[in-house]
Amino acid sequence: MSLLWLRVAVLLYAFASLAVLPAALYDRPRWRHIAIPATTAAIFFHFVSLIEMLNAAHHRLPVDTHETQSFLGLVLALAFLFICARYKTVSLGIFILPICFLLGLIPAFRPGEEPTYFPHLHTGWIFLHVALLLAAYAALFLSLLASLLYLVQERRLKQKSPAFKWLPPLETTDQIALKTLLFGLPCMTAGLLIGSVLAEQMIGSSYFLDPKVLLSFAMWLAYVGMIFIRRHSGLRGRRAVYLSSFVFLVVLAVWAANQLSVVHRFTAP
Amino acid sequence: MTKNLSAPNLILLGINHTTAPIEVRERLAIAPSRLADATRALAHQPGIREAIILSTCNRVELLTVQDATHSENPGTLNFLYEYLNIPASDLQPHLYEFREREAVRHLFRVASSLDSMVVGEPQILGQVKEAYSTGREVGAVATTLEGLLQRAFTVAKRVRTDTQIGSSSVSIASVAVDLARKIFDSLEGKTVLLVGAGKMSELAARHLIQQGAASILVANRTQSRAEQIAKEFNGQIIPFGQLYEQADRADIVITSTGAPEKIFGRSHGQQFLQRRRNRPMFFIDIAVPRDVDPGMNEVEGCFVYDIDDLQQVAQANLADRGREAEAAEAIVTREVDKYLQRLQTLNAVPAIQSLQQYAEAIRQAELRRSQSKLANLTPDQREAVEALTRSLTAKFLHHPLTGIRQAAQQGDAQTLADLQRLYTGQSAPKPDPTDED
Repeated sequence: MSLLWLRVAVLLYAFASLAVLPAALYDRPRWRHIAIPATTAAIFFHFVSLIEMLNAAHHRLPVDTHETQSFLGLVLALAFLFICARYKTVSLGIFILPICFLLGLIPAFRPGEEPTYFPHLHTGWIFLHVALLLAAYAALFLSLLASLLYLVQERRLKQKSPAFKWLPPLETTDQIALKTLLFGLPCMTAGLLIGSVLAEQMIGSSYFLDPKVLLSFAMWLAYVGMIFIRRHSGLRGRRAVYLSSFVFLVVLAVWAANQLSVVHRFTAP
Repeated sequence: MTKNLSAPNLILLGINHTTAPIEVRERLAIAPSRLADATRALAHQPGIREAIILSTCNRVELLTVQDATHSENPGTLNFLYEYLNIPASDLQPHLYEFREREAVRHLFRVASSLDSMVVGEPQILGQVKEAYSTGREVGAVATTLEGLLQRAFTVAKRVRTDTQIGSSSVSIASVAVDLARKIFDSLEGKTVLLVGAGKMSELAARHLIQQGAASILVANRTQSRAEQIAKEFNGQIIPFGQLYEQADRADIVITSTGAPEKIFGRSHGQQFLQRRRNRPMFFIDIAVPRDVDPGMNEVEGCFVYDIDDLQQVAQANLADRGREAEAAEAIVTREVDKYLQRLQTLNAVPAIQSLQQYAEAIRQAELRRSQSKLANLTPDQREAVEALTRSLTAKFLHHPLTGIRQAAQQGDAQTLADLQRLYTGQSAPKPDPTDED
């Protein structure tokens, strides 16, 4: 049943991805009034599907690749709705909604068959660890996206180009880039702290020599460094994009490090 | 031959910026204070049932609903010549007249700002609404104009929401505001610095304040002029000698001095940005020769637009509006068809009612004629006969009624008249033979 709801959600993401194009590119309010409810409905079905999926797998958090992917899509869709409400722009939906669609596509139509088991997964702390880190990843991704849009808008205004009129104002993208980072920092810090405490209790100090774990702390340092530089020098434009891109690469490395990790794997023995 | 049915005796007479020079338009223009009196006078002309007057700087139009007997439109012409005291010879070459479908179409185009001098300008809809309100106040608006004008407002709103006809600015001042909003989003709380005191820079500043800019700084070599502008905008004067120390306080700088040399160079931009911790600055350089070095635009966070840049954006926006106008025209055409179709369907109601009453009268008469033969029937049998005759009548009427509705929807007055005559023996009003498709 969870797959059915996820498929409904994915189709709604696809529909919202199409509806947001005229809404953002041609400023058509009618399409805006279709794209946002479609996204809201997609989030609802996605949420229902996720709950059912997790219940069916007898654990309460997204652990395997597909579930994590799907959960990340849900977080991004929620972030999109928040940005729409807070900054009155749907332009970011042109990028976010297709990503939500793609993140849900494989779990919906080619679900993983890998059984997942880990004795400690039933604790609420593990759920918080995963959810907070995924929220931090989503925040960083949105920050990078907003910084890129800032760069394109800045170029457009400097070159006096009539193209890309739909891009949000510079101050809006700058605010999104900074606020998402500020939101992501406590999420990442708390997520890593919870993970560390749990690992210390369950596995011992050897956990901290794992490449995945080491990279995670490097990621945190890069994240803190980026926020410090941005806030204290008012960094914007090209250099802000370079910095965000660097931290984003670190995040991708952390994600990929799951494949090298000995202790951070949750498949059945 | 089919004939178009349409709004009954709707006539629009007027002049606008394309048909009359300003010398004629200003003689015909009716001041807002006189509009109610003029509308009342027009509505009291012989043969005129309803009327409104739209009077703007670019057009004067009289929209009337007239009796069918006055097809020559004498009431409106009398009003023009008598009330406004303008000789016929002066007006006649500039007047245009639209009737029925074309009058509806013209009104929808005017309300949607497709007939305006600057296509897409938003003021015209408010002016049409004002004309309608005045007409209502003096009792000159009844069923026909009420329905038509409400439809015109809906069409205008649809054109605004479904196209981008009014979304881009076409004047230098509003382009500057649009660009500022692309940088700062909201202008709430932003500071504007006026360097020099040209008329256009004042206009741009006024636009920025209307959009929420909080404070105005004025720097001018002539102190008295600086004081005058600062007073006008409730702003603050910056001594010209302290310009470079204080310019970074402003988010938007409008320059319009007559200085032969550049006032702001690239290095100034770098200093300002450093002091502002990279918060962007927008330089609007209206001066000729220019006050701001174009090289400053290369400084990250500085955006420099000179008068030519602003004009180019305005031209591009105007071209965009032209493209959007095509989509808007299609909406107007569809809405005119829908409006007239609805009106025509309503026109079919009397014919349908007349046919139904005629059939019911025949049924009742036949039942009365057979009353003696049906006297021995039981109540159930009598009820069955009633039901049978009703059903026969309804089935017999089905095709003619469908035909009437279709004829009405297609605007086929001839078929409508023929059907009514064939089935009831009554003659429907014949369509005007001079009214071509």
